[in-house]
Amino acid sequence: MEIVAVNQISPDQVILWSWGFITINVTIIYTWLVMAILVGGSWLITRNLSTDINTSRWQHLLEVVISTIRSEIQEMTKKGADDYIPLIGTLFLFICLSNVLAIVPGYVPPTASLMTTAALAICVFIAVPMYGISRNGLLHYLKEYFQPNFIFFPFHIMGEISRTLALTVRLFGNIMSHEKVIGILLSVTPLVFPVIMQALGLLIGVIQAYIFAILSMVYIASALGAEEEFHLEVKSEGIPA
Amino acid sequence: MHIDWFVLFCQIFNFLLLVYLLKRFLYGRIIQAMDAREAKMVARFDEAEDMRSKAKEVVETYDRKNQFFNEKSEQMLNEASQAAEAKRKELIEKVRADVELIKVRWQDMLIREQEAFFQDLRRRASQQIYATARRALTDLADADLEQRIVDVFIRRIRELDKVKSEEIRKAISSGGNRVVVQSAFGVSDEMRRQIESALKKQITNGFTIRYMMEPEIVSGIELRVNGHKIAWSLNDYLETLVENLTETLQREAQGVS
Repeated sequence: MEIVAVNQISPDQVILWSWGFITINVTIIYTWLVMAILVGGSWLITRNLSTDINTSRWQHLLEVVISTIRSEIQEMTKKGADDYIPLIGTLFLFICLSNVLAIVPGYVPPTASLMTTAALAICVFIAVPMYGISRNGLLHYLKEYFQPNFIFFPFHIMGEISRTLALTVRLFGNIMSHEKVIGILLSVTPLVFPVIMQALGLLIGVIQAYIFAILSMVYIASALGAEEEFHLEVKSEGIPA
Repeated sequence: MHIDWFVLFCQIFNFLLLVYLLKRFLYGRIIQAMDAREAKMVARFDEAEDMRSKAKEVVETYDRKNQFFNEKSEQMLNEASQAAEAKRKELIEKVRADVELIKVRWQDMLIREQEAFFQDLRRRASQQIYATARRALTDLADADLEQRIVDVFIRRIRELDKVKSEEIRKAISSGGNRVVVQSAFGVSDEMRRQIESALKKQITNGFTIRYMMEPEIVSGIELRVNGHKIAWSLNDYLETLVENLTETLQREAQGVS
């Protein structure tokens, strides 16, 4: 017995407008909504930024969020965090807001769509080598795939793909399943229990956003860190015994 | 599971667009503002630290000055009190000297007044005694007091011993044979004759007598010749009386002071 079909809760299936291969579904609409809130809010708050001691409450809020993200990244890279803040910060803010807005009735998180999570994971998949190459050069980055020897090359490639897949499915699975659990509970239990689950859903949504952002940073940091280790090896070989 | 490639690429594009927009509107501005504030705060802290060190210097300078002024004021106070003490002693000495001077003057004035008083007293007393004695002698005996005085005077001349008589004789001869007889009253011719004969008989012959009225010689008569004198007057009695009176008055004055 199927209580709630996946297509009933996946926003991808709710197509609003379609022309040829172009389809505008709820996922895209809600993504735009989240983007509009983030960009519009940022624009509103950062219009009149104060560099003095006295600042507005919203500026304080943004500063707290940004400085927290900054310090988290700093802990991992042990270097400047400002290069990674746009990617990691946007990942966190987008996923977090997408998940938290689930409290609003009628809204379905874009992250409950496999396409969205896949898109985010692909971005990370592409960003990791980009950061590695931009920092240490293409050759050094590629050499990393043949460490300790060339046999490990396919495993490295599989690792890259599997962790991207894991990112995709983890976020999608959590959010989608949560939506589904809410749907199931609504049909079998009184009204109070789903509310508790809804609150739990908020917590899970934030945690998932944190996990996604942190894992992305870990992948990037490992790409950078591996290169640094490689440099260290080259240096030690160059020193005569 | 159905894969909608359009949605996938659309979401990738959306995400990249979001990254760009947030980088432009959020991270860049916020980070810039935070860094600016941090720099400003560091500058303010530096400024505060600078001001604190300056303030510390000022406080130290002030403390040093304060200490210096305290020492200075204490020193000045000591000097002033010493000067005041010296001035006080000087003034006291001056006042003491002034008081002493006034006291001496006052005492001199007192002595002068006393002397004047006694002079006056003596004069009045002698006049009174003279008048009283004269009246008493007149009342008691039917004899003229002046005659009695001359009688006593003549008796004194007669009672002179030889040595004294010789001395007076020499004095008369060395003084140009001139004898002065002074008396408080007019000497009558009879009296003059008696005196002359007594002198001639007792002392010598060749001399001239000059008679003079002298009120200072109280109720008496005296003969003066070149440092020698034969006399009788109430003065001796009066002087004794005045001396006794003076002693009594001084004792009274000392008792009062």
